[in-house]
Amino acid sequence: MLRDITIGQYLAGDSVLHRLDPRTKILSTLVFMIVLFLVPSLAGYLILAALAVFLVMLARVPLRMVLRGLKPLAFILVLTFSLQLFMTRGETLFRLGGLVATREGLNMGILMVFRLSLLIVTTSLLTLTTSPIALTDGIEHLLRPFRRLGVPAHELAMMMTIALRFIPTLLEEADKIMKAQMARGADFHSGNLLRRARSLVPLLVPLFVSSFRRADELAMAMEARCYRGGEGRTRMKELRMGLRDAVALAATSALVLGVICLRRWP
Amino acid sequence: MVRLILPNANEGSHLPLRGLAEAGILVALATVLSFVKLYSFPQGGSVTAGSMVPILFIGLRWGPVLGLLGGAVYGVVQLVMEPYVYHPVQVLLDYPLAFGLLGLAGLFRARPALAVTAGIGGRFLCHWLSGVIFFAAYAGARHPAVYSAIYNGSYLVPELAVSVVVVSVLARMVSLDGARHA
Repeated sequence: MLRDITIGQYLAGDSVLHRLDPRTKILSTLVFMIVLFLVPSLAGYLILAALAVFLVMLARVPLRMVLRGLKPLAFILVLTFSLQLFMTRGETLFRLGGLVATREGLNMGILMVFRLSLLIVTTSLLTLTTSPIALTDGIEHLLRPFRRLGVPAHELAMMMTIALRFIPTLLEEADKIMKAQMARGADFHSGNLLRRARSLVPLLVPLFVSSFRRADELAMAMEARCYRGGEGRTRMKELRMGLRDAVALAATSALVLGVICLRRWP
Repeated sequence: MVRLILPNANEGSHLPLRGLAEAGILVALATVLSFVKLYSFPQGGSVTAGSMVPILFIGLRWGPVLGLLGGAVYGVVQLVMEPYVYHPVQVLLDYPLAFGLLGLAGLFRARPALAVTAGIGGRFLCHWLSGVIFFAAYAGARHPAVYSAIYNGSYLVPELAVSVVVVSVLARMVSLDGARHA
């Protein structure tokens, strides 16, 4: 029952977007998110939406995969739209019971829906085209300048890598233990909350014990291979920025310039 | 401020390797447990099989610094798995920071029940703040502060109860001093 869970949303592929350096993708996504909050008009959002559709096509990811990310927020989207529509003061469009829909509200509602959907679509696009390990690598590199402030970039990335490596292993183990305990009559799904919490103990004790054992073995194996932190460590695959990344970053900069111009001279 | 917490971060790796490895694996365990739902609420949010317990244990066994870092990593893993993105600051508040504060448990290593309450209290504070700032418009007639407290409390209070029970049982079986255990 636990086995068929996929970690993250990564869809393997070899499109231009897949092959971009993870640093480029993370930075561009962050900039795009900020730009979304600066765009002043509907025309601007339409351009950004067209850009997002273009990127999805470039990534050769099925559109429904991207839109699936919108599902958990569907409720918020509808609520946001109706709140803006009825709560903004202005010229009356129509009345619904005691509520007054206004033209200004309709405008604001459409803007907010565009902003939220694009926010989700772009973040999904990042996780759909970048494997969790590549993301971790990218985050480690981008955090490096903050090491002077005491952010342990390498250690954070190491923990993340270990976690990603062991999720499938522990998933299988948890599944096995749950089935074994259920075969012995354990019941995880009935009774009140406290009963259920106590029924977890026969699952959690073996899982914790084996996790500590694995950590022991892992630490020893790392020590035996002379692991001493990030300083001077070499990698098999170095991240390299290429022409592709230069183009992508230039396009992102152009986007920022565009939105600044749009705000200055609307 | 950060320098105060991590005084000699520049001098190579000051975090114990054993703790680092354990934190990584416990983050994996927390992720696995977050898939096991004890109870799902109709309006979203669910009570998991004590998925915060492994993170609380990082704090309990290795102290608040590693607890904070491990929690932040868990937050990023959660973000990658189920992104709920509304605003860049909301993402920071609801993921790395909220889960990082679970590491506060490491401040009260002698008293597990208090430690669990402190850690989950820290997480609640972050989600509550994010609710007040970013989701105030959805509060309807209620005050945003009240609305956010009710919404976040509805799943975190049961989760707190589960975690206290599980941690107090586990604390009797597992050493709370990671370094000595090694």
